Amino acid sequence: MGLLDKLAAWLGFKKKEVHVLCIGLDNSGKTTIINQLKPKDSQYEDIVPTIGFSVEKFASSALSFTVFDMSGQGRYRNLWEHYYKDAQAVIFVVDSSDKLRMVVAKDEMDQLLSHSDIKNRRLPFLFFANKMDLREALSSVKVSSMMGLENLQNKPWHICASNALTGEGLHEGVEWLTDQIRSNQKR
Amino acid sequence: MHMLKRDKKDEEDGSSNPYANLEKSAVLQEARTFNETPINPRRCCHTLTKILYIINAEHEGEHLGTTEATETFFAMTKLFQSNDPTLRRMVYLTIKEMANIAEDVIIVTSSLTKDMTGKEDLFRAAAIRALCKITDSTMLQSIERYMKQAIVDKVHAVSSAALVSSLQLMKTSHDVVKRWVNEATEAVSSDNMMVQYHALGLLYHIRKNDRLAVSKLVSKYTRQSLKSPYAVCLLIRIACKLLEEDGAGHDSPMFDFIESCLRHKSEMVIYEAAHAIVNMHNTTARELAPAVSVLQLFLSSPKPTLRFAATKTLNKVSMTHPAAVTACNLDLENLITDVNRSIATLAITTLLKTGSESSVDRLMKQISSFMSEISDEFKVVVVQAIKSLCMKYPRKHPVMMNFLSSMLRDEGGFDYKKSIVDTIISILEENSEAKEAGLAHLCEFIEDCEHTSLAVRILHLLGREGPRVAQPSKYIRFIYNRVILENAAVRAAAVSSLAKFGANCEDLLPSVLVLLERSLLDSDDEVRDRATLYLSVLKQHQKVLNSAYILNALNVSIVGLERALHHYTTEPSDVAFDIKSVPLETQPITEQKTPGDAMQSKTADKIALSRQDIYSEQLSAIPEFDSLGPLFKSSSMPVELTESELEYSVHCIKHTFSNHIVFQFDCTNTLNDQLLENVTIHMDPSDGFEVVNYVPAQCLKYNTPSTTYTCVKVPDDPLSVTSTLSNTMKFLVKDCDPNTGEPDHDGYEDEYVLEDIEVTVCDHIQRVMKPNFGASWEEIGDDNQIEETFALSAKSLAEAVKNIISFLGMQPCERSDKVAEGRSSHTLYLAGVYRGGHDVLVRSRLALMEGAVTMQITVRSTQLSASEVIASAVG
Repeated sequence: MGLLDKLAAWLGFKKKEVHVLCIGLDNSGKTTIINQLKPKDSQYEDIVPTIGFSVEKFASSALSFTVFDMSGQGRYRNLWEHYYKDAQAVIFVVDSSDKLRMVVAKDEMDQLLSHSDIKNRRLPFLFFANKMDLREALSSVKVSSMMGLENLQNKPWHICASNALTGEGLHEGVEWLTDQIRSNQKR
Repeated sequence: MHMLKRDKKDEEDGSSNPYANLEKSAVLQEARTFNETPINPRRCCHTLTKILYIINAEHEGEHLGTTEATETFFAMTKLFQSNDPTLRRMVYLTIKEMANIAEDVIIVTSSLTKDMTGKEDLFRAAAIRALCKITDSTMLQSIERYMKQAIVDKVHAVSSAALVSSLQLMKTSHDVVKRWVNEATEAVSSDNMMVQYHALGLLYHIRKNDRLAVSKLVSKYTRQSLKSPYAVCLLIRIACKLLEEDGAGHDSPMFDFIESCLRHKSEMVIYEAAHAIVNMHNTTARELAPAVSVLQLFLSSPKPTLRFAATKTLNKVSMTHPAAVTACNLDLENLITDVNRSIATLAITTLLKTGSESSVDRLMKQISSFMSEISDEFKVVVVQAIKSLCMKYPRKHPVMMNFLSSMLRDEGGFDYKKSIVDTIISILEENSEAKEAGLAHLCEFIEDCEHTSLAVRILHLLGREGPRVAQPSKYIRFIYNRVILENAAVRAAAVSSLAKFGANCEDLLPSVLVLLERSLLDSDDEVRDRATLYLSVLKQHQKVLNSAYILNALNVSIVGLERALHHYTTEPSDVAFDIKSVPLETQPITEQKTPGDAMQSKTADKIALSRQDIYSEQLSAIPEFDSLGPLFKSSSMPVELTESELEYSVHCIKHTFSNHIVFQFDCTNTLNDQLLENVTIHMDPSDGFEVVNYVPAQCLKYNTPSTTYTCVKVPDDPLSVTSTLSNTMKFLVKDCDPNTGEPDHDGYEDEYVLEDIEVTVCDHIQRVMKPNFGASWEEIGDDNQIEETFALSAKSLAEAVKNIISFLGMQPCERSDKVAEGRSSHTLYLAGVYRGGHDVLVRSRLALMEGAVTMQITVRSTQLSASEVIASAVG
């Protein structure tokens, strides 16, 4: 890091970099959400199922995010844990129209929360109740109760309903995440 | 200047490899830097380099295990967050190297697809290569779309990478890649040389198995001229292959295309076309002429590569079409002083092959002037050229021998020395005039020879050939020097060699005895033992003993002897060990021994030897055959008892024991809806043969070969040994589902008639090499001698010799299987061992009279019945 960079960082011009893990079941819209958050000129036109993971970058008002967008397909879920250690926040995407698999999502979340790399850290958890535009979609309150979020004690969490296709609700969530991370760092 | 010198010195020391002493655990520890934020690209690159070094330097004993590799791989995936180009490319490299070591490597698929479709051109080609390396055929579907796009990408590097990676993918997922034909076809029309070449290559490999499609491909692209010379070269090769498969003549359009390429503007294409024409099987002088004249032009090219290529090709042609190359002789003459010694060597050896007898001296002189400057590999080429020259011009052997001996004195590696020794030995075996000179050179060579195997070989040769020359005593000094100066293996060989002189030459015997006595106190066991044995044998002054223990070696299979002795020591008995119970060494068939397939016959020998041992092991594992005694002989080639492509295929191998013959049937069931059980081959014996027992194959599944045995007793009458046995395969059929292989419960009996098996004389005889036939002949004596005269149906002596050898299945000795041209009489010496361990020797005098061959056969054996069987077998 050059002298100028250091100076810029000290003065707060340069945005602080954070690592975020984006997980959730397959076809819940993780890649679409990340894609929507990226600057317009680097967005993809079509989204295909992720194999393994991909690394994406985007920025919010105060932070620069490096997101590990993990694949949600069953055979890759056991690979998530390799990336828990250096995550500074978790984005968990739930397909709010998929009532049937809500229990699977809860199961994955419980496993994630009991992992040794996650259990004792105050990681902010941001939940997106995605696909709110669909008719059969559940409300965010309903989703949070089905996921049992009220039992989530030692971590700050937030849930917002979102529509990744239009970008609705995404920025609200990212702003919350930014605040949480910054307050975490101050402490 | 001073600096430069020091640098060079450092390089020579070779101490500058910073990765030479890496420790795996330390490097894996270092891989933790991958988890740091922010990433330090320089340090990570360095660590990746070390990991790559460890993966590839397995000789140092540091092997990366699966778990370690997987852990490191996952840590490395985090490096995708850095956009440093150098680091990213190192990551690609490491992914490729780890693809087969680590697990779950497909996790980087999305990251790589992102790179390959991204904006950074620098990443795209490398990402494609890495992606195709980690992809298996199930995952390929998901990236197919990207691959198709990449093939027609406008960036050449990307397009080339995609095409070449597709070629690699063909090996595992041919069906998917086949669908990319349209993209590949589009890429052929690219204006980039490499892309066009790679695209044509992919197209060809996609259609490789469809002959019609390939010939369409060729005719299409021969008409629209391709821009890339590489692509044209490939097209020439494809066209050549087609021509060869079709056996098409020179009027085919493909040939016209190749010939037109001789006038192409690229030198590469011209050479490829000339090379292709020259290497075609059925080229005549007319087609050859333009190709050779093109090569001739290359000979005077200022570019050394072209000169080298042209000389090398002409060198090859000179073997098949010496006349065509003669036209280039003048240009080749100019090249023999070429500064590039490789070119000069090839030019001279070419000239040696095409030149006349008179030019040999001059060329040899020229080549000896720079022998010391060329590499061993080319020296071997020269030696081979000399070898063929000696066969061609036997009268030139003094020049050649002198040259070879001076080469022997030079520095050189083992392969080089070995080829010289091979050449000298083959010359002195072919040409009796050269024998003394050759032996003298070899004697001189072993005076200072660091290769034990060569020294042993030469000593053995001296022992065999030395006693037969006019003055054998001159070799004694050379041999005895070895006893004094060399290592144990050579000393032992020298002692054996000395003993042979003592056995063969009466007048040398006292001196040999004195010399051998000195070896009695040798420090090595083997040398002492040999000396003791030979001394006590020689002191008996009996020709029979000499022949049995000195001149003719033991003929048993070494592996078999080891096994028999081991068996004897583990189960002690009062009876002395019987050497006749050991299986005999199987001799290679040396009938068509040309210099070319000398290598082949050597490997064949090894296989045959181990095959019999394998059989003997297999048979001894079957309790039914325990009482039969040791295996005497197994027939070399399986006999097919069914026609190919019928329901069942059966091959038979005959195993001869002392009183029994075991027929081994290897059966294969080619019907996928049948399961055969309890398979036996019933034999219908005649001529006094009787079936003892059957060992059935329990179960014969579809396409899984299984073996059944039938044991037959040979009649007690020693003279009836031949017969024809008819066979029927009997079994229980169960129908089964072709897909699952699940059989029905009930089955029905069925049988299947096979072709007959013949038991002939050669099944009872094992080939044995007697290095000194005369001594053995005297040793056996004429107690059981039988002599008969026959008229044979053969038209020539060579044919008669061949027939007799194959009919009796005995080993020709003293190289008597070769009939000299234009002679009207010939004597054939055959040696073998008859079933039960009785030596049999046959001397057969053949005379050619008025187109018919008359044979007088003399059989000597240690058992009268064996002589009778053999003598009657011919009639």
